[in-house]
Amino acid sequence: MGDLAERFAAYAARRLAHARDVRVSGLDRIPGGASRETYRLVLHYEERGQEISRRLILRRDPPGSLIDTERRLEFGAYKAFAGSRVPVPEAIWLEEDPAHLDFPFCVMQELPGLEASPSVLLAPPYAQHREKLGAQKWRILGEIAKADPQQLGLVGLMKDVAPTECWRRELDYWEGVIDEDELEPQPIMRAVIRRLRRSPPPPAQKVSVVHGDYRTGNFLADTDGKIHAILDWEMAHLGDPLEDLAWGINPLWTNGTPQLAGGLLPKAEAVRHWEAASGLVADPAALLWWELFSCVKGQGIWVSSAREYQAGKNQDPILAMAGLLTYSQDRCALHLLGRLA
Amino acid sequence: MKPDPQRMLELLAGALATDVMPNVQPRYRQTSVAILAGIALAAREEFERAAARRAEENAALRALFGASAEVVRDAGLGARLRAAAVTRDESLRVSALDASNQALRTLLIELHAHVETLVTPAARALDEAIWTELVSSAERRRLSAAPF
Repeated sequence: MGDLAERFAAYAARRLAHARDVRVSGLDRIPGGASRETYRLVLHYEERGQEISRRLILRRDPPGSLIDTERRLEFGAYKAFAGSRVPVPEAIWLEEDPAHLDFPFCVMQELPGLEASPSVLLAPPYAQHREKLGAQKWRILGEIAKADPQQLGLVGLMKDVAPTECWRRELDYWEGVIDEDELEPQPIMRAVIRRLRRSPPPPAQKVSVVHGDYRTGNFLADTDGKIHAILDWEMAHLGDPLEDLAWGINPLWTNGTPQLAGGLLPKAEAVRHWEAASGLVADPAALLWWELFSCVKGQGIWVSSAREYQAGKNQDPILAMAGLLTYSQDRCALHLLGRLA
Repeated sequence: MKPDPQRMLELLAGALATDVMPNVQPRYRQTSVAILAGIALAAREEFERAAARRAEENAALRALFGASAEVVRDAGLGARLRAAAVTRDESLRVSALDASNQALRTLLIELHAHVETLVTPAARALDEAIWTELVSSAERRRLSAAPF
C-alpha cells in the first residue's frame, strides 16, 4: 500500500504542474469491484500558497478481471454525463500507460459518507426509503436512455450500432465469451441463446447509451434515500436501452426479495418509472427478450470469473464466489421462461 | 474421514467469520475473509452431494438418450445417443463422474438443438422431457445461500 501511495503521489505531482509537496494519506482498498481494484485516498498538495486536500477514488485494472472493459469508455461516460440529470462523480484523470502504477487506471472524485452496498442499502436506516430509492433509480436509468449519445459526444468513442443490430452485436459478443471461457457445458444457457436467435427483438426504439451494469450496488445513496451518483460505467456502450432495464430487473439482483426488482420496487413500477423518464415504451415481449439476454450476459461474466480463478490468474475470492453464480443465473433463466417458480 | 469433512468446513467457515475476520485489516481483507467463509460453506454443501448428484444426473441423461434415439432424424446423432445410453460410471470418484457428466451434457446440448428443429408430437414431448431434466439439473446444483 505504501509503495502504491508513493507512486501515485509521484504521478499526481507530474499531473499538477503548479503543485508542491504532493503526498497521499489514507490509501485504503474498497471491497467489491472485481473488474477494477478500487482505492480511496486523500491527495494533499500546496498550490499557489494554498494547502489543498482532495478525496479521490483510484480505479486500477487488476491482473485478471471479471470482464474485459475499455477504461477509456468508462472514463468518457463519466465525463459525458457530468452536470446532467444523471448524477456522476467527477472524472479527473485517465492514465493508460502502465509505467506509472503497473496497470492502467483512472481517478475520480470521492463522494464520502454515501453507501453503495446492496446489503446495507436494503437494511435500516436506508430500507425505509426503498420506494424513494427505487423511483430515483429507475428514473435516472430513463434519463440515461433518453440522452442523445451524439450530443454527449460519445458516438465515435463508443462503437455505433444500427437499431436493428443492437441485439445481434451483444448476443454474439456474450455467446463468444461463454464459448471461450466456460469450464463446463451450459445446456440451459445454450437453449436460451438458440431461443433468442430464433425470435429476435424488434429494432431498438433508439440507440442509447447503455450503462451495462445498472443494478443496486452501482449507485451511491445517502441515509435520506437520495441517490447522488451512478457508478461503474465500465461496460457502457451504445445499444438498445431495453438492455439496461432488463439487466436491472434480472431476478439475480432481487437480493432475497424476488417480488422486488433490484430489491427496491415491484417490476411493474420500475418499468413505469423508466417509461415516464425515458419517453420510451417497454414492450413486454421485447423486454422479455432482453431479460433472457441479460441471463446470457451474466453467465458470460460468471464463467469468465470462474475460469480466471481456477487458472490462478486472479485469486481474489470474489471471483470464486462470482463463478458460483452460474447456477443461480441458470435458475433465473428458467424462472423467466416460466419453468421454475 | 473423521471429523466429517462437512463439519470441518462448517467450523472453518465459522472460525473465519468470527475469529479471523474481525482481526484482519484493512477492510478490504475483512471482506475477502468473509467471502472465503462463504466459499467454505458452499464447498461443504457440494461435498455432501457431489457424487450423488452427478451419478443421478448421468443416469437420468442416459435414460433420456435411450428414449431419444428413435425420435431424432439424424442417423449419426441417433447412433451416438444409443452409445451414450449404455455407458456406465465405472468409478465413483467425483473427477470421473464429472468427466462423464460433461460429455453427457455436451451431447444433451446437441440433442436439444436438433429436437427443436423437429415438429412431430414425439419431438415436442422429448423437448418437454429435456426441459424437465434441465430444471432438475438446476435444482441439483442449487446452493442454499445463493441469491436466486
